[in-house]
Amino acid sequence: MKFHAPLAVLLSAMATCAWAQATSSSSINTTAVAMFLAFVVVTLGITYWAAGRTKTTSDFYAAGGGITGFQNGLAIAGDYMSAASFLGIAGLVYTSGFDGLIYAIGFLVGWPIVLVLIAEPLRNLGKYTFADVASFRLQQKPIRILAASGSLVTVIFYLIAQMVGAGKLIELLFGLPYEFAVIIVGVLMTLYVTFGGMIATTWVQLIKAILLLSGASLMAFLVMMQFGFSFENLFAEAVKVHAKANAIMAPGTLVSDPISAISLGIALMFGTAGLPHILMRFFTVKDAVQARRSVFYATGFIGYFYILTFIIGFGAIILLLKNPAYFTDGVLIGGANMAAIHLSQALGGDILLGFISAVAFATILAVVSGLTLAGSSAISHDLYATLVLKGERDEKKEIRASRIATVCLGVIAVLLGIVFEKQNVAFMVGLAFCVAASANFPILLLSMYWRKLTTRGAVIGGGLGLFTAVILVVIGPTVWVDAFGFKQAIFPYKYPAIFSVSAAFIGIWFFSITDKSASAAKEQAAFDAQFVRSQTGIGAAEAAQH
Amino acid sequence: MHTETIRQLPEYAALTRARKKIMWPLSLATIVAYFALILTIAFNPTALGNPIGDGVTSIGMVLGLGVILFCMVITGIYVYYANRVLEPLTRAIVQKAGDQS
Repeated sequence: MKFHAPLAVLLSAMATCAWAQATSSSSINTTAVAMFLAFVVVTLGITYWAAGRTKTTSDFYAAGGGITGFQNGLAIAGDYMSAASFLGIAGLVYTSGFDGLIYAIGFLVGWPIVLVLIAEPLRNLGKYTFADVASFRLQQKPIRILAASGSLVTVIFYLIAQMVGAGKLIELLFGLPYEFAVIIVGVLMTLYVTFGGMIATTWVQLIKAILLLSGASLMAFLVMMQFGFSFENLFAEAVKVHAKANAIMAPGTLVSDPISAISLGIALMFGTAGLPHILMRFFTVKDAVQARRSVFYATGFIGYFYILTFIIGFGAIILLLKNPAYFTDGVLIGGANMAAIHLSQALGGDILLGFISAVAFATILAVVSGLTLAGSSAISHDLYATLVLKGERDEKKEIRASRIATVCLGVIAVLLGIVFEKQNVAFMVGLAFCVAASANFPILLLSMYWRKLTTRGAVIGGGLGLFTAVILVVIGPTVWVDAFGFKQAIFPYKYPAIFSVSAAFIGIWFFSITDKSASAAKEQAAFDAQFVRSQTGIGAAEAAQH
Repeated sequence: MHTETIRQLPEYAALTRARKKIMWPLSLATIVAYFALILTIAFNPTALGNPIGDGVTSIGMVLGLGVILFCMVITGIYVYYANRVLEPLTRAIVQKAGDQS
């Protein structure tokens, strides 16, 4: 399939027109528009270049395995540091101080687990998706259907949250109508993934990670400079200014009861190790050594980024609360999530505001592209290749299927983004993590380390985890009360991971050990060979070339 | 080369042993550090709000930022150990497997 350059021009023209229209109604930051258009032009140029290099399934799903550990670490960071976490955590710190730190920590603690338990066996056993690993010694069909369902549910919830966030952010920053903003994001991500596959997606994530890290570093530097680079001075001033005073130094209302606290912890910690778009990135490097290096760099970048976000949140408390220009009727313009954006203006005027706005937009594009690629590969590599092609290797058909799947996902993402415009979607990222921790992570972990795992156990237990997670969130306070408007939730806890993850592990354990079928015995016997390969990588290199 | 032959190699036994030795302690250390903080947040939030010394910086802030740095250190320790201990063993196994196949 050829990349259509005129499309890119058309798109830029469309965007410029809309901006020209919008300029008449509200003031537009020209730096932001120029920066953003530059990002779009550069990334579409990269997509054009990548399209010429995307010939095989390995190119499309895994950038041909030619990404270095450092690049992949940066790209993982680019995939993981979403605008939701940048603006959301800064906003949460701005509102309640310490509580923002709880989320930041939760998003980071999964990484040592990914490194120590998952990354190397994943690279050694899999090819393009984590379902490759889960189905390594189990029956292809049921396991791939289950893993693809887990992936797609995770991807869709994550996508909705990002699309709605993107629409609102762009509406606010650039003065574009919400629907138009969602469509621009949808069209751009579809172009990147359809034509440029993993190569273009990786470069979009790399550029975004560098932009976001430099923007956030600059902001944090400017904040700390005002306080002699002392956290004590920063905190002291914030406590003086903030309405909650000393309470911002302690846990607040975010986590109210022990069950919710532990549940949130489980979902964040183990969910990271079950996110399909993150797991997929490990197949873009040459071998287990590079996979290991990727996580080391990724953890460094992500941890550093959260510390910056935390400083930015405190900077916002001090610099914004003193300045009535950022408030209407005592409320921060655009809500707490805009704290980081307003702070950029307070620190560096319209130029920094423009830069940070454009970076926030680029951030969204990079994350949704990674998600879409993970979703489309679950459809083409796990469902289409196994169910329709029935294992017959046909690269052309498979790539075509994933391109069609990408376009469909793009359309679905735009439609869902528009449908959910007025809903509170903040819980959806939490739900995505919960499903990833309850369905994807248990199957993946046990398939790697537990000899007795059988197809029956994995399907029933994994299905149980997936089902329990979704049902409990729906009948819990966030959806049942906040979204559906019922008076009381059927299930009292906001975060169900402690129940759904347990359900998955117990289900997998029980239905595996009671499985006395001949096929189960065969699957258990195949563990030794799988374990040798997962530990040494012998056999992995040859498999990747096919 | 046959799986069984690799499994018989002394280096293979050494590799799985060395990996176990680092894998579980580091995973557990991360899990314990994180859940210790989460459980303190759940059961004794006021303790985390106590300031350190005369300043305003609370114990919770230091512990929280400490967990972030701890995660980075854990990944550093693992990569250092893996490159120094696990990698030579893996290379030896791959070479022997290559020789005999």
